[in-house]
Amino acid sequence: MAISLLNPKAEVARAAQALAVNISGAKGIQDVMKSNLGPKGTMKMLVSGAGDIKITKDGNILLHEMQIQHPTASLIARASTAQDDMTGDGTTSTVLLIGELLKQGDIYIAEGLHPRILTDGFDKAKTKALEVLDKIKIAIEPNKENLTDVCRTSLRTKVHQKLADVLTDVCVEAVLALKSQDKPVDLHMIELMQMQHKTETDTTLVKGLVLDHGSRHPDMPKRLENCYILTCNVSLEYEKSEVNSGFFYKTAEERDKMVAAEREFIDQRVKKIIELKKKVCAGNNKSFVVINQKGIDPMSLDQLAKEGIIALRRAKRRNMERLALACGGVAMNSFDDLSESVLGYAGVVYEHVLGENKYTFVEDCKNPQSVTILMKGPNKHSLDQIKDSIRDGLRAINNALEDKAVIPGAGAFEVMANKELMQWKDTIKGKSRLGVIAYAEALLIIPKVLATNSGFDVQETIVKLQEESRINPEPIGLDLVSGEPINPKDAGIFDNYIVKKQIINSCSVIASNLLLVDEVMRAGMSSLKG
Amino acid sequence: MTNTQEILTLQFGHYANFVGTHWWNLQETSFQYNSNTPSEINHDVLFREGHNSKGLVTFTPRLLLVDLKCSLKSLPTEGELYESLPDIAHYSGVNWDENKLDIRKEQKQHKNEFQQDIDNPKTLQQFSQKKYNLEDSTEVWSDYLYSRFHPRSVNIINEYQHCNKETPFDTFSLGTELWKTDFFQEDFVDKIRNYTEECDHFQGFHVLTDCTNGFAGLSSSCLEDIRDEYDRKSVLVFPTIPSFFPDNEYKTDREQVTSIMSDSTRVINLLLSFNNFKQHSNMFSPLCTSKDGWRQPGESRQFYHVNYNFKLPYHSSAILASALETITLKYRLKSNTFSTMDLYADLTANGRKAVATSICLPFSFNCDAYLIDCLDQWEGPLYQSLTPRCTIGTNRVMQHLTISGISESKIKKPYNFAGKQKDMPAYKYNSVKEMLEYYLACTTYATASHVTAVEKPLTVKPPYPDIFDKIIGSDGNVNMNPRSDNTIIESVPVLAGLHSGTELGEMLESLHSEARKLKIARFHQFTIERDEYEECLNDILTFKEEYEDSYLI
Ligand SMILES: Nc1ncnc2c1ncn2[C@@H]1O[C@H](COP(=O)(O)OP(=O)(O)OP(=O)(O)O)[C@@H](O)[C@H]1O
Ligand SMILES: [Mg+2]
Repeated sequence: MAISLLNPKAEVARAAQALAVNISGAKGIQDVMKSNLGPKGTMKMLVSGAGDIKITKDGNILLHEMQIQHPTASLIARASTAQDDMTGDGTTSTVLLIGELLKQGDIYIAEGLHPRILTDGFDKAKTKALEVLDKIKIAIEPNKENLTDVCRTSLRTKVHQKLADVLTDVCVEAVLALKSQDKPVDLHMIELMQMQHKTETDTTLVKGLVLDHGSRHPDMPKRLENCYILTCNVSLEYEKSEVNSGFFYKTAEERDKMVAAEREFIDQRVKKIIELKKKVCAGNNKSFVVINQKGIDPMSLDQLAKEGIIALRRAKRRNMERLALACGGVAMNSFDDLSESVLGYAGVVYEHVLGENKYTFVEDCKNPQSVTILMKGPNKHSLDQIKDSIRDGLRAINNALEDKAVIPGAGAFEVMANKELMQWKDTIKGKSRLGVIAYAEALLIIPKVLATNSGFDVQETIVKLQEESRINPEPIGLDLVSGEPINPKDAGIFDNYIVKKQIINSCSVIASNLLLVDEVMRAGMSSLKG
Repeated sequence: MTNTQEILTLQFGHYANFVGTHWWNLQETSFQYNSNTPSEINHDVLFREGHNSKGLVTFTPRLLLVDLKCSLKSLPTEGELYESLPDIAHYSGVNWDENKLDIRKEQKQHKNEFQQDIDNPKTLQQFSQKKYNLEDSTEVWSDYLYSRFHPRSVNIINEYQHCNKETPFDTFSLGTELWKTDFFQEDFVDKIRNYTEECDHFQGFHVLTDCTNGFAGLSSSCLEDIRDEYDRKSVLVFPTIPSFFPDNEYKTDREQVTSIMSDSTRVINLLLSFNNFKQHSNMFSPLCTSKDGWRQPGESRQFYHVNYNFKLPYHSSAILASALETITLKYRLKSNTFSTMDLYADLTANGRKAVATSICLPFSFNCDAYLIDCLDQWEGPLYQSLTPRCTIGTNRVMQHLTISGISESKIKKPYNFAGKQKDMPAYKYNSVKEMLEYYLACTTYATASHVTAVEKPLTVKPPYPDIFDKIIGSDGNVNMNPRSDNTIIESVPVLAGLHSGTELGEMLESLHSEARKLKIARFHQFTIERDEYEECLNDILTFKEEYEDSYLI
């Protein structure tokens, strides 16, 4: 799906200087991404020539979908997607900030400032900005309310508010279910399962596991209660180990004998399961479910079905771990030591059929440490969009847990850092001060674009914010509904600390490199001449 | 309950997909839905039955294919078999404010006449009787794709764009890196599992893969994972090599340098992937319609009664697909219990996992002649090798051949009218299988040949290219008079084989000696250390040695 940017070759011809090329590339990608930023940004729907649809508001995903030809733009794109790989957020801001640093820097370079001195200033400003960030950060308890705030802020920049709030609850509940004292949360233990029906807001959290397959035997129960769960990775299918050569024929008898021997081997395994089932389910109302990572062939299924056992084959590798966490029990790699103690428990196990697809719900687990987010949606692209959003939401929560802190959003950090840098610049000697000024100015791109995307006048808004900030020591952000200054804390608008930190770090480095390219190029030319 | 042993096909890369497309087409155009004579072939081995959202029964290839962004042209990723294309007019607004929606539409991809015809129920019935000139309208494989895929079949890599010279997907290392992304680790691996979970007697994998570009690394990594998860399943790999690389037609010195570099890169990719296939497959057979395969594909192989344009992947891949269709019949027949594992037992003794593929396409003889005469008068080799740098010998070879399309009545004259035929020792054989085995026994030395005969010929009507001589008639026989321009060839007899012999050692040796000349450190797109590369070279050398001592059985 193409959003073609400027053609680099034509660009080179027009702008002789490398810096100009870089700036135009940065501007090109900035223009595409600008409208994404914040909860009032524009959703993009990309329709391919064959009719495939991708809907997204996420900078990272958009960058992956774009065909970027301009070398600078593609460098910025890579830097920004790397940002997302690390923290799961902040791609759009990264693109905007790099572009703006180049633009502000260029003004001074055009006036004759040496790029080196400028980037020196950037470097100083960056260090100072990180100090401001640490000052503005708010330590939080990892409780439901705090996690909800940061997750909601993130999700409302991805999907409609109504849906964002549904997904926020689901994400927060999911992480809280996994969280045990002080141990880091492994987000892989949250299964994300898509089901194509109903609508997006029917997305729910299942306190257990949903598997994307069902039993493959007509006589197996479709629903069982009070279930022992045997999780295993043991082949229950006949795989012939002997071969028929095309050259040397075996008699039918010989062949049958071999088959029988192999079969017997598998039957023994099935018998072990059945024995255990009989032992633990005798005289009570308990039932038995086998979930196997390996195959189970029809003959084995048949024997298990006769005992009223639900048996699933070829479960995801990761579900072995998830099942143990959700239901308890131990995933078995052999049946040598089968006993009740290796079994897990689920209150109910049932199958749900949807067209060609079957789903098995393993629910009502005692204290599940692995859960499933069951995503609903009318079509593939909306399901994909939800999945992308949920990933973002989960990472926002996880970042907050790891940071044990958040920062006020809505441009508050940028306004505050701009103010403090402008005060601090007077202590800087020499021309690198100009770099600090450029940096401070560039930061404002975030509140500016937030304002633009909400339809407010940029200059007016920025002035208001700066005035309020001058008299008010609290963080000051932009209320996107009224266009007035607010304290983001009061509105519950919080961003991740680590995301902002990464943005500050990576943007300064990349912008500096791009600004210095000009110098490098000129050095190269002169050495050629000499 | 049937005992079909299902196979999952994986296709990696654009040329592999060209081959695969022809292969699926060959099969589907031969389906007879209302026939009284049940098919000899068990299509459930390679296809799966399902039903779409409207509850209609579907029968689609059990297939996962991978290609790069922009390689599909008019084919939607999910296809339209299960659900019609999403209608953007029906955007619900649940997801975002409607007035803050920026719709960016690419220009609609034009469908060629063939695609239009098979899309339209009115013209669908006649497509196989029409000439389409797909040579001109084929840019990508989906242009001549007749099969309709399951929504999970097509997997498009977003990171690299088809034919983009700025960011080429051209090295093994790029492929192994890509395999580590969630797209493969989670989604693709899950799709493999979804397919295998459906199977009652899953047999294993067919893997068709490009092996001169990044897909070499991607498929190699995939095989490693498959070995891990499906340890006892069969893995049969067909590395495919195009018979033409556009960069080989350089005009300037600079282009020549680039082309030589590309040839070297391809050699490294081949070396690394062959070494991987040797470890992680049960058997592999490199395929190319040109003789040399690497450095440059070289002179194209000639087949009796065939005129093809080696520069067109649409043509060369059709020949490779015909061979695949034919050799795999061996374990896709309803009548036998032969499986891929049995094939390996015969062909890969002593670790000789590389085998050669051959074809005689078409296996045509005069419309009034008999197989016995045809074999009697045959000059030169019966089949052509499709494996590069490998001439299939007649000395100490283990081989499995499949012949299809020769009916019992065409074996020999009936006794009362046989005349001189009766004097031939071969006359005593009554089946195609026996007669061909006898012929092979007479023309080879210390060679074990196993023949499978299938009555049904190879269906070559459109979209298969018209690559046959004018004297081949619509039934695939050699006629006295050239066929008219608008005659469509329906089907042709064909012979194809898999062969294991010392000649494969020569192929490996040639690859080794080319690869050894290259200084890996100079190819910085490869993230492989010198030691590792040396080790790989050594492994290939050891592998080659497996073919040296001429033991038999
Ligand atoms: N309710 C709100 N009011 C004002 N500003 C908000 C609100 N919610 C989020 N923001 C601001 O929007 C910005 C984040 O926007 P967005 O998530 O679209 O871009 P991003 O995080 O830079 O990139 P990505 O596309 O990777 O998420 C942050 O600066 C955040 O503070
Ligand atoms: Mg964000």
